[in-house]
Amino acid sequence: MTRYIVRRLLQAIPLLFIISVVLFILMRSSGDPVATLGGRRNPRPEDRQRLTRLLGLDQPLYVQYIYWLIGNDWTMIDVDGDGVVETPGQQKGVLRGEFGTSLVVRGKPAMEVILERIPYTLLLMIVSEVVIIFFSLVIGVFSALRQYSLLDHLITGLSFLGYSMPIFFVALVSMYLFAVEFKSWGLPYLPTGGVFEPQEGNTPLQVALHLVLPVMSIAVVSIAGYSRFVRATMLEVLGEDYIRTARAKGLRKRTIIFLHALKNASLPLVTIVGLDIPMLLGGAVVTERIFAWPGTGRLFLDHVSRGDTPVVMGILMLIAVAVIIFQLITDITYAWLDPRIRYT
Amino acid sequence: MKSKLWKIVAAWVVITMLASSAACVTPAEPTKTPAPTQAPTTAPAATKAPQPTAVEPTKAAPTKKIVTFAWTQEPDSLNPWYTNMWFSTTLHQLFLAWAWEFDDKNVPFPRLVTEIPSLENGGVSPDGLTITMHLRDDIVWSDGKPITSADFVFTYDMVMAEANSVTSKYPYDYLESIEAPDERTVVMHFSKPFAAWKSLFWRGILPRHVLEPVFQAKGSLQEAEWNMAPTVGCGPYNFAEWESGSYIRFVKNPNYWGPAPKIDEIYFKIVPDDASQTAALIAGDADVGAFIPLSDVPTLKEKGVIIMVESSGYAEGLFFNFRDMANPGARDLNVRRAIAMAIDREAINRDLLLGLSHAPETLWDPLAVYGYVSPDIVPWKYDPAAAKDLLEKAGWIDRDGDGIRENARGEKLTLVYGTTIREIRQDTQAVIQQQLKQVGIELKLVSQEADIFFGSFSDGAACAVGSVDIMQWSDAPYFPDPDKDYWLCDQIPNADNPWGWNYFGCDPRLDELFKKQLTLMDEKERAKVIQEISKYMHDQVYWYGLWDDPDYWAVNARLTGVKFSGVTPLYNVAEWDVK
Repeated sequence: MTRYIVRRLLQAIPLLFIISVVLFILMRSSGDPVATLGGRRNPRPEDRQRLTRLLGLDQPLYVQYIYWLIGNDWTMIDVDGDGVVETPGQQKGVLRGEFGTSLVVRGKPAMEVILERIPYTLLLMIVSEVVIIFFSLVIGVFSALRQYSLLDHLITGLSFLGYSMPIFFVALVSMYLFAVEFKSWGLPYLPTGGVFEPQEGNTPLQVALHLVLPVMSIAVVSIAGYSRFVRATMLEVLGEDYIRTARAKGLRKRTIIFLHALKNASLPLVTIVGLDIPMLLGGAVVTERIFAWPGTGRLFLDHVSRGDTPVVMGILMLIAVAVIIFQLITDITYAWLDPRIRYT
Repeated sequence: MKSKLWKIVAAWVVITMLASSAACVTPAEPTKTPAPTQAPTTAPAATKAPQPTAVEPTKAAPTKKIVTFAWTQEPDSLNPWYTNMWFSTTLHQLFLAWAWEFDDKNVPFPRLVTEIPSLENGGVSPDGLTITMHLRDDIVWSDGKPITSADFVFTYDMVMAEANSVTSKYPYDYLESIEAPDERTVVMHFSKPFAAWKSLFWRGILPRHVLEPVFQAKGSLQEAEWNMAPTVGCGPYNFAEWESGSYIRFVKNPNYWGPAPKIDEIYFKIVPDDASQTAALIAGDADVGAFIPLSDVPTLKEKGVIIMVESSGYAEGLFFNFRDMANPGARDLNVRRAIAMAIDREAINRDLLLGLSHAPETLWDPLAVYGYVSPDIVPWKYDPAAAKDLLEKAGWIDRDGDGIRENARGEKLTLVYGTTIREIRQDTQAVIQQQLKQVGIELKLVSQEADIFFGSFSDGAACAVGSVDIMQWSDAPYFPDPDKDYWLCDQIPNADNPWGWNYFGCDPRLDELFKKQLTLMDEKERAKVIQEISKYMHDQVYWYGLWDDPDYWAVNARLTGVKFSGVTPLYNVAEWDVK
């Protein structure tokens, strides 16, 4: 097993390198970061020329990548624009743990910009994931046990409805209904967005209230999909010989369902959830935007539109590393849970 | 069997708890904005930023008057020289007063100076080469230190220092020198008159006593904490905290030298989605919103939200490329005039913009009150029959019967029409494409992200290399100044000048007039030249107005005393109150 883990980790190095090259080229080809600087009025040509030079954007793409990867403190750069390199570089590079400074929040380390948002994204995504798994299991098992009943048909219908609705639609409709209309009808209502209301302060209750609608928007679509998955695997397992044997032995129904059937039926779910976990870091772009949730999904969107390579590359590389690590953990967990699987 | 079930449960609990603990504990630390260590603390109330965390909530007292803005874009920096964003500069009037600001009629009034320099009061020398400013005696930074002429000189030095790599050196690079003969006097020297000075100079100053030590220690202000946490300022409010992606909070400045503000705290809540902003305004979760989508205006009004419209000089229009590489049609004045008559602007304003806007004739229509628009201009009228006649007479005839006109050389009247990806622009493209098709002009549509559309010549960007014949966006002069310098001939982008921004062409007459107006310090004389420019550009159809593009503000009816300016929108925020 140790050899397997070491081999997988060594394989990850060239993989990450290729991913970083592809992403860097794509990112730097997606517009000029100093073309508008986020303003209504475009910057003057003299300023664009100066900033392009000072931010190192005038260098060939491969030089920019090398500086991003290994830094430029081993060489000299031209700061005064006279065409002669005279100032030692300051960048340390990703391999020495520095993702560079943001081009939008000037002078601020890209990783600092990202780390400010990750806790909020994890809070939103983990709560959503727990809600999704809980309700998927409950609905999936319930539906499988009552196959072809009226309730099963109803759940199936609702699942397809939920699965076919785009998140932005669920988000906006739920916001208008539970936040805007409920308030105007004099009913208890939820906030429209953000993390807390200024008048109330940053309290756990406020954060919880502000989580309800975004979590619901994310969960509705996923529960619809996952519950179908659980239902199908449960039905498959319930037809297995060992379940019949368990019944014949006179075990209690609850024991059969939860200990024998559900445990085995939920094994494939481990793979899906294992792949979901690294994506938690990326946040939910649409939901975070609509509900003004300060997570990495929104950060990514805001900084991609400004061509902020250091921050965007930081987010993407974090996700890439997390995907590789969690895939490995998933594989190991799978082997741990299912003794028939062996890695050599 | 049972132990394996426990393994599953244990694995889940551990993963969830680890992740949850990261989520619940860490928000407090990385998100709070530390108070800059270099800030002096003679007046602690003004300088020390409260740092609420998830552990220690900032429970606001119920009696506090709090106003919340829904801000659709998060500022990138609060230092005026590290931003180009409207959403950043608009905050200045809270914490960083300008030397002079502009009221709801966009008329300047003095803030840090005793009076605005002019030829009449001797502040501007007769030759226009020297401008002298006298500072008020009572102005102090929020930490109690006096604001002096040294702060102005320091600001100039910091803007010009290459190591600071500020967003723009303009217009400070016009200055020959600056001096501070005494603590309350600042003298600016120019090598040639610069008529646009009033709109562009001293949009904020930097506190020397805070930032000079940073510059000396680090060699640059780029990483100064003050940029993101300007706890020492000179406006009615003090910066308190900035929680990334969430909100920026301002509190009353106890050392403010003007009339005391009435609102206790002001939040700028970052709400990036237009529909969510509207929902927040209707639900009362936000009191003020900016850049309201026109389609939401009727709903907001219906719900009792007050809509206020303030011109900031912007107008949406078509720019024509008459450079050599453009289609011969775009270079032909008759074709441009035919296009001006073939577009039904009234229908566009009525159907796409709900009748809330109207078509301007010149780039200076939003400044018409200053007399910059020639009274001799005859507006273009929608007349497709006349457009067809004009094209026929100019030799643009559909010779092959495909519905598209050609000239005698067989070159088709097929123009490339590009804009950015904003939805209303793409809708307009489709409408204009249909309207011009009726007169035999074919349009090929292009829409790109702004950062790509406005890229440089070396990037091969559409505007710069001239691969588009018609371009559309919203722009303004240096409002309320009438100058717009991208029409100059030396601004045409090419391999030697890849960042040039004259995407249209070189017209020597226009070049001469634009250069001339910038040297005229007499406002009446200058207005005459601008009038000449406006008429010439209108008749040459170098720019064709589609709709005026003022700022739409949405204000909760519980607020009183609210006024907006197009230049310094929150100029009277200290007078705002809640019912």
